[in-house]
Amino acid sequence: MKILIVEDETKTGDYLKQGLSEAGFIVDVSRNGLDGLHLALAEAYDLLILDVMLPGMDGWQLLHTLRKAGRDMPVIFLTARDQIGDRVKGLELGADDYLIKPFSFAELLARVRTLLRRGKTTETTILVAADLEMDLLKRKVTRAGERIDLTAKEFVLLELLLRRQGEVLPRSLIASQVWDMNFDSDTNVIEVAVRRLRAKVDDGFTPRLIRTVRGMGYVLDVPETE
Amino acid sequence: MVWRRSITLRLTLLFALASTTVLVAVGSIVGFVMENHFEQMDIAEQLGKLQLIRHALGKVTTAEDLSKLPQQLDDALIGHPGLSVTVVGSDKTIVYTSKETHFPDILLNNAATEISARQKPVVWQQNNHEYSGIAMSVPTSLHAAPLFTVAIALDIQHRRQFMQVFQDTLWIIFGFGIAFSAFLGWIAAHQGLSPVRHIALVAKSISATQLNDRLPLDSVPSELLDLAESFNGMLARLEASFQRLTDFSSDLAHELRAPVNNLMTQSQVALSKTRSSDEYRDVLASNLEEYDRLAKMISDMLFLAKADHGLMVPQHDTINLVTEIQQLIEFYEPLSEESGLTMTVRGAGITTGDRLMIRRALSNLLSNALRHTERGGEIVATVNEINIGEVRVSIENPGTDIAPNHIAHLFDRFFRVDPARLHSGEGVGLGLAITRSIIEAHRGSISVVSQNGVTCFEINLPSAESGSRK
Repeated sequence: MKILIVEDETKTGDYLKQGLSEAGFIVDVSRNGLDGLHLALAEAYDLLILDVMLPGMDGWQLLHTLRKAGRDMPVIFLTARDQIGDRVKGLELGADDYLIKPFSFAELLARVRTLLRRGKTTETTILVAADLEMDLLKRKVTRAGERIDLTAKEFVLLELLLRRQGEVLPRSLIASQVWDMNFDSDTNVIEVAVRRLRAKVDDGFTPRLIRTVRGMGYVLDVPETE
Repeated sequence: MVWRRSITLRLTLLFALASTTVLVAVGSIVGFVMENHFEQMDIAEQLGKLQLIRHALGKVTTAEDLSKLPQQLDDALIGHPGLSVTVVGSDKTIVYTSKETHFPDILLNNAATEISARQKPVVWQQNNHEYSGIAMSVPTSLHAAPLFTVAIALDIQHRRQFMQVFQDTLWIIFGFGIAFSAFLGWIAAHQGLSPVRHIALVAKSISATQLNDRLPLDSVPSELLDLAESFNGMLARLEASFQRLTDFSSDLAHELRAPVNNLMTQSQVALSKTRSSDEYRDVLASNLEEYDRLAKMISDMLFLAKADHGLMVPQHDTINLVTEIQQLIEFYEPLSEESGLTMTVRGAGITTGDRLMIRRALSNLLSNALRHTERGGEIVATVNEINIGEVRVSIENPGTDIAPNHIAHLFDRFFRVDPARLHSGEGVGLGLAITRSIIEAHRGSISVVSQNGVTCFEINLPSAESGSRK
């Protein structure tokens, strides 16, 4: 998967490149709007990450030109301005998502993956991780053959973690996907919800599947055994 | 330079104008009265002589008598140097004339048979002298020409000169009087306006550091009391907002210091010797938590700044408040179950507004209630239409009463009832401030009542049924 980052802030650009490369993407960085546009038109990128304020040509113009040229790859905007006017403008021009600086890298990574996965979800009815099984049709969860009773929201939370195995999911993404709460709650409600789910899914079983990545979020993965 | 209309100048001019009007009127009346008086006196003198001559003429019966008349008249006129007399017969022969005075025909030809004190004298000029004369027909007992015309003229030059001098003097005195009253007017205006200058002086002395200065109201005249009171009111409002702003900046600095301090100390300690990668990872993760705090604080501050500048433009979604609260209760279920609380919502109500913002406001109130409710308590949210076009959401939780002196500051930025709870995971103390901003941006209001162990937040919002729906 190839990603183009157009960002004039050197440090931000470098860290985004490093982070996304380490997450398994092929990443190019462009430092100004015009170079970015040329690259975007010349090469086949799967996704674009655009800063709004850019030298040469701003993010809006770049997107506009790109869409007129018939390129429809997903685009994520990074903006320091969190005004509703910007949001409306960006979405009207055909941006797929936007993040307000300062944003967390985990959040960006999660959104990149969401966008790249869009329309490609395989119609699986059973999700598996080690000896944990989730049957989406029967709404049934078992661990080592033992049935686990979950509340409706716990089920949705576990489904999210299972579908995105190995990805660190930030709290804000979980709040948004599971409860449709698109703002930061000033409570530790996600932490408590995950802890309760983990008690049901992991307590008494090995390996432990749901992990907390400190400062980033939560991940469900099967630990590699030697 | 801009021409400013000076009140002192205006008052001075008004004083001068008023005194001029009065003095001119008085001067004119005095002049007229004096002139009239002199005229009356002259007429009286002339009339007296006329009577005398008439009497003398009355005794003339023969031509011999007539020839004696001039002598008689000369005697009668002794001591009256200003008087000239002529006696003319009906055949225009001059019987007597006292001096070289020429009497005009208009006087002689219009001699009256009877003369009263109100008779208007004829006035004429001769040899730079001004004369005022009256004439009368006097019958005698003479056979030949019994009717004589007697004319008496008075030299009024002295009177004229006196009046001239008198008037000139009067005008000079008046001129000084006007100038003096203008000066007095200026002093009066200047003195009268001194309270205004005092207000200006106080206003001048006020800077940001001494907003607590007030005008002393007991020394202000009643006309300026309103002005002074509004001025003091303005100062009080300024002082209050300035105080809030100052508090806010120092609070902000304080709030930023804590996480930055943590970051610095942690990083310095970590770098002071070589550590395992796990330890480094731990430090980075811990730093990340502080950065999160900072980022959240920054975005909350931006949100509030935007609200302060009226830049928050809520969308117009139709929002079912009960459904929203229901979803939030579901969201907070893990927390409420952990704390052994129940959360319920009842009633019905619909408003229009920005769904995300309203949700955030309600969420802040619910999480606030969650934090302050004891185990086993019940949080109740009630939605109902209290008036036409107004819907009320009240969120009630049992808990320790909030002290009355804290209630007033509850919605202030960075305000915490218990300053020790700085790091207990309850955000940065902007939640309720943000809630109020959101509600106010939706033309609503928020208040709180805390008594008898129950704390109740009340939000009033325009109802969607009131026609505010788009």
